[in-house]
Order: sequence, then C-alpha cells, then structure tokens
Amino acid sequence: MFWRLVFQLLRGNSGRLTVAILALVSGAAVISGLLNLELGVEYQLTQQFRTLGANVVIAPKADQPAPESALGDSALMNEDAVLNSVGQITGPSVWFAPFAYVIARANDAPVVAVGTWLDQVRNLDPTWKLEGNWISSRDDLEQCLVGRNAAKQLHLVTGRRLRLQYLSRTAECSVAGIFDSGAAEDNQVFMSLRALQTLADLPGKISLVQLNVSGGPKVIAKVAGQLSEVLPQFQVRPIREVTEAQGALLGRIRLLIVTMIVLILILTVLCVVATMAALAIERRADIGLMKALGGSISRIVGFFVAEVGLLGAAGGLIGAIMGVALSYWMGVRVFDTPIPPRWEVFPVTILLMTIVAMAGVLPLRMLGEVKPAIMLRGD
Amino acid sequence: MFTRLIGESLSRNPRRKLLTAAALVAGMAVATATLTIALEVGDRLAHEFRSFGANLLVTPQSDTLPVEIGGVDYRPVDEGAYLNEADLGKLKTIFWRHNIEGFTPFLDVPAFVPEAGGVATVVGTWYQHDVPVPDGTTFKTGVSITHPSWKMDGRWFHDSADECVVGSALAAKFPTEIKIGKTIAVGRDEKSGPARTLLITGIVSTGDAEDRTVLVPLSIAQNLSHHPGQFRSLFVSALTKPADALAERGEMALNDQNIQLTPTEYDRWFCSPYISSISYQIKTVLPGTDVRTIRRVAETEGRVLSRVGTLLWIVTLAALIAAALAVAATSATTVLERRSEIGLMKALGAGNSTVTGLFLLEQLLLALAGGAVGFIVGAALARILGSSVFGTPASPQFILLPIILGLAAVVALVGSLIPLRRAAHLRPALILRGQ
Repeated sequence: MFWRLVFQLLRGNSGRLTVAILALVSGAAVISGLLNLELGVEYQLTQQFRTLGANVVIAPKADQPAPESALGDSALMNEDAVLNSVGQITGPSVWFAPFAYVIARANDAPVVAVGTWLDQVRNLDPTWKLEGNWISSRDDLEQCLVGRNAAKQLHLVTGRRLRLQYLSRTAECSVAGIFDSGAAEDNQVFMSLRALQTLADLPGKISLVQLNVSGGPKVIAKVAGQLSEVLPQFQVRPIREVTEAQGALLGRIRLLIVTMIVLILILTVLCVVATMAALAIERRADIGLMKALGGSISRIVGFFVAEVGLLGAAGGLIGAIMGVALSYWMGVRVFDTPIPPRWEVFPVTILLMTIVAMAGVLPLRMLGEVKPAIMLRGD
Repeated sequence: MFTRLIGESLSRNPRRKLLTAAALVAGMAVATATLTIALEVGDRLAHEFRSFGANLLVTPQSDTLPVEIGGVDYRPVDEGAYLNEADLGKLKTIFWRHNIEGFTPFLDVPAFVPEAGGVATVVGTWYQHDVPVPDGTTFKTGVSITHPSWKMDGRWFHDSADECVVGSALAAKFPTEIKIGKTIAVGRDEKSGPARTLLITGIVSTGDAEDRTVLVPLSIAQNLSHHPGQFRSLFVSALTKPADALAERGEMALNDQNIQLTPTEYDRWFCSPYISSISYQIKTVLPGTDVRTIRRVAETEGRVLSRVGTLLWIVTLAALIAAALAVAATSATTVLERRSEIGLMKALGAGNSTVTGLFLLEQLLLALAGGAVGFIVGAALARILGSSVFGTPASPQFILLPIILGLAAVVALVGSLIPLRRAAHLRPALILRGQ
C-alpha cells in the first residue's frame, strides 16, 4: 500500500518532477565529477612533477671518497648487485638508470663522458630538448648524445663521429643527437654504459644510480626506505629539497581545489533543497486531501520523504555516471590522460543526494499543525 | 502605486524572501571568491614555484668547456672566463625587472682545507647581499631567495664576516673536525698555507653538489682565487608566464635567422614575461654571457601552471553554474510560494504584464542587493582562502562587481520568469483555490 501510493505519486506528477529530477541529476553530476577529480588529481599532478628529474640517488657512502673525484674501485658500486636489488624493489612506475663518469679528452680538450642507459635518459629527464634522434637501445655502443655546449666547443653536429681518449684507450661513437638541458649535462657527452666501462677499463662498475619515482614525498620516502634496507652498504638519498618543495606545492593546489569544491557542494545542496521545497509546496493540496481522508501527518510526510528519497537515489545514480564521465573528459582536457572512475564516488553521491532531497521536504512537517480544511482551501 | 506595491511587498514579508536572498548571497559570494582566486592563481603559483629554485643560469660566453662532475669543476682556477660582480645591478633595470625575484653569483675555488682532509671545493656566494642598482636603490638578494629549498642546520653566514657554512656530506665525512661553532682554515693550496680562518655557522643540505663543498661569502672566495670582483656563474630566479605559441616563436627567432617576428609580435613577445624574453633582456644588459633556461624547473613550472590554471577555470565554471542554478531554483520557489498573491492581484484586475513586471522588479532589486552583499562576502572569503592557501590574502577585484551584479540579476530574473509565466496563464480563481 505504502509503496503503491509512492509510485502513484511519482507517476501522477511527472511534469513537476522533471524539474526536480533535472536539479538532482545536475547537482549529482557536479558533485561526483568534482569528487572524482579531487581523488584523481594528486596522481595526475605528481605525474606532471616527474619532469623535475631524478628524486632519489643511490651512491657510495659519504665516508668513502666522493665517487666523482676518483675513479678508484672503492668509490664505485657493483653494477649487477645494485641494479638487481633496485629492479626487484621498484615497480614499473619507477624509472632508473646507472651512471658512471670519467674525464676523457676529445681533440685534446677535457670533457666529461657519462656512461648510462641511453634509452632511459629521456624518462629520467623528460625536459631535454633534442636535435636529432633519441637512442632506443641501451646496448647501442655505436651512438652517443652530446650536450649543447660540448657540441659547440667540439664543433660537433648530428651524424659526425666523436673520438674520446682516456689514458691509452680510445672510444668512438657517432653523434645521434645534441641536447639542451639548461644544466650541467650541457657540457657532457652521454654514451652507453658498456662503452664507457670499456673506455675507463672498469667493467661492471658504476658511480651512482638515479631514480625517478612517481608520487608524493611519502611514496618517495617509502621507496628510499625499502632500497636502503636491501642496500645497506650504499647511501640511498631522496633529494628531499625537491620532493618537499613539490609536496608543499601539491598540498596548496589540492587545498585550493578542495575548498572550491566544498563551496560548490554547499551551493549544489542549496539548489536541490530549494527545488525540493518547491515540490513540497506544490503538494500542499495533496497533503490536505490525504489528511482529510484520515491519514496521519507523519504517515503522509513519510510518503513524500520516501518519494523524494527514491528520486534522490535515482538522480544521484544518473548524475554520478554523468559526473564521472565529466571528470574523464576533464582529465583528457587538462592532463591529456583520463581520470579513471573511482567506485567510492557512486555510493557517496547517491547517499548525499538522497539525504539532501529528503532534507528538502522536511518543512512539510510544519504542515502538521494546519487544519486540512484550510489547506484544501489553498491558504 | 507601482513602487509603493514593491516597497510594501519587500518590507511586509521579509521571511518569504529570505531563501532567495540567502541563495543570492551564497551563490554570488562563491562566484566572487572563485573568480577572484582564479584571476590571481597564476601569479600566486608562479611565486610558489620559486621554491624549486632558480630557473635561469648565466655563464660567461667565451668559457672553455666546464669539466664538471656532480657540481665540482675540475678546471684550474686560471682557466675559463669570469663575470663582473659590478654589472649585477643592471639586472634590475630590464623591462621585466620586477619579475626578477633574485639572483645569486657563484664562484667555485679548489682550495686547501686541512680540517676537510686537504683539498676541498670552496664556493663563494651571497646569502643576503645588498646589490647597488643603477637607479640609486639597493636590492637584497642571495641564496635565501634563489635557493629556498636548501635546508639549514644552524644559521647562514653574514656576507661580510669571516664565516662559512659546510655542506652536509662533507660534514658527515669529518664529524669531529666540522661542527657548528668550530673554525676551519682555508688557503689557496697546501704550499701557501691557510689564508683565512672561518667560523662554521651552519651545516647545509642542498640535495645537490654543494653538499660536498664549503660555502663562504663571495668576497672570501674571490680573495682565495685572486679574482676580485668576479664570479663564474649566476643563478636567476624570475617570475614567468607559461610558454605558449608566441613564446616558442620568439625563442626560435633568437636562434634562427630564418624566422622573423613581425613588429607587433615582437612587441607582444618582449612585453610578456616569458622565460625566453626575460633571458633575452638579461643578455642585453650582461653582454658576453650565455643565458640558459634551467629546463627542468622552467618546463615543469610551465606544465603545472597551465594545467592547474585550466583546471581551476573549469572548477570556477562549475561554481558559476552551481551558483546560477541555486539562485534560479530559489527564485522559482519564491514565486511558487506566492501564487495565491498573484491570483489575488489578477482577481483585483491586474494584467499579466503588471503582475510579471512587479515580480520581476522585486526580484531584480533583491538580486542587486543580494549580489552586492554576496560580492562583499565573496571578497572576504577570497581573502581567507588566499591567506590559508598561499599565505597572503587575495585583494578584492572590483572589476568583478559589475559582472557579479549582472550575473545575479540575469539568473534571478530567468529563474523567476518561468514560474511567473506559468502562474500568469492560470486562471485566478483556480490559483486562489490553491490548485
């Protein structure tokens, strides 16, 4: 009986209900869209900050001689041991590459030669501007990348051959590309790790490992903690100065977005309450009739609360789907990658809309004191 | 008669208008606050980004190739070119001088420091130094502005005192000799012996090559290297605008003779704080230098700024829509509540246009008042929001006032027009009976 009446009420007033449903759906869409955006925005923003470059460095301990100043064995790390551990700990979201340095001579001028995984250079430092081609294989011993200043000093252009000399050994490679980093790398020559180890006669040795970990300062600290557990003999150093500045900025951006979302939420709730109140006012005559027919006011109000509760849930569901689609579009528009839907958004939005819609008709309770005859007259 | 009716209506039954008024104030306050923040957020975030440090690096052009690994230059002191400290004031004379937040010169000297195991790199720099600007003023700058992420344990040196700060890695290597409050001796090399005795005032952690060096006031490093008044590299921190198509064309035109900007394009490029135009302007006041963009910082800044900017505009748009919906919905409710009043007016002989006009005028007055109050509340809200998020309050944007008032009026009128039209079509007798 109760539910039949509720459905009758819903069917009988379809015209007026359209407006209410419209308000509920648009309100729910805005709320769920922004909620989904808020939940996804941290990941999206940390992805943007990856262009800052490496944020964790693994190097020999500080009480040993600095890895750069001397290329003696004690200052170097064993490539296989370190890289295996790093590979086991870290997932695919962590980019890393080993580095080894040597001061070689080219045309009798000293130049810093860097040996690394050339295919990973682009991931570790995504902001480099390159003229020429990236190198796609880390086993490519034939090609190298040259920094902008080094290329100018050594009169190199893409495609030329570069001859490096270290003690009595020499290495040759062809310049695949010339890069501009705006940092110290502009003065260096990047070649394959294997080729540099051969040139320096230090097979299997590296100076340091750079990691680019995606995530906030907490994630970075966690990865660094795990790494120092498995590599106690080395120093695992999160570049705190960068990660903290990044964390602070992220916090501010999120705070800003959250505050704006809360403000919008309040407005949306207000809008829905107002629409529901309008619906309730239009129903005054119905209430009078029901009361005249002997219904108790709590039972009558119960009908309406159930009715709008159903409306709210339905509107919330439709709106949530629309909102998630909206945030998907926003993700593509703003970050070039969609923001994936979060399941939490659906129950939260539906529950919120149901409660808000019910709250909107509560003023009907005040009608309990009014006499049915007067109400039917329309005062 | 008309005005008296409205006056009566507004003064008689204030409770009925309460919902509309509240929605108007709330909606317009949120619209004002979000718009104020959205207008300012670019500048604010650009400022925040300076916590990542400098975004421009100035080096001498004729320099030989620096042989630098991990920030330590292995070239002899006598090799390579230097820049003059005296020219630095000119940086504050360029077109975008107010966007130059700070700059810091660096001079690396391989030196003899017995407490640090013999040879160590001494880096001369400024902490907070007063730079004379050609217009007669002074400008305070140094690593405190260009490298704010450096972590200091203790305090920085005074730029004119015999003090120094030691990098954390170096300090960890010699825990007994290097402590805050102790002194170290620095000299040019082992033969000439220590030239200066410096008090250690702090241990600095930079996350970079400076962790393995001794940082000293610039003048001391200049003395050590016998290069008075000179330095080797300059870090500049500048507030910039994210690069767009014009910025890229401007940058390309600088490097490539084949690309020419039209005079208007050139003016627009020169007069926009793009990183490329600022670096070009620095180059003109410091001839013989190479001004490089620290791409890691500058590009991240550009990406994040433009994305967060777009994001905030979308959220602002959502706020505006939510505000409009809230105001329209409550206006409609108010009109619905007063249908019997409409019926009575019509029964007493008022025409549709009179009734509609009366109600619309009333709503308009309400909207203007609510919009004005909402603007004040919104400006206050933006102030609080600005200071809680960015530390400094957002100043009210009075240009928004007419926009907010117009928005309030349009939304309230549109919201009440629809139920009014429906009410006008009904027969007065039916409305009065309450159907």
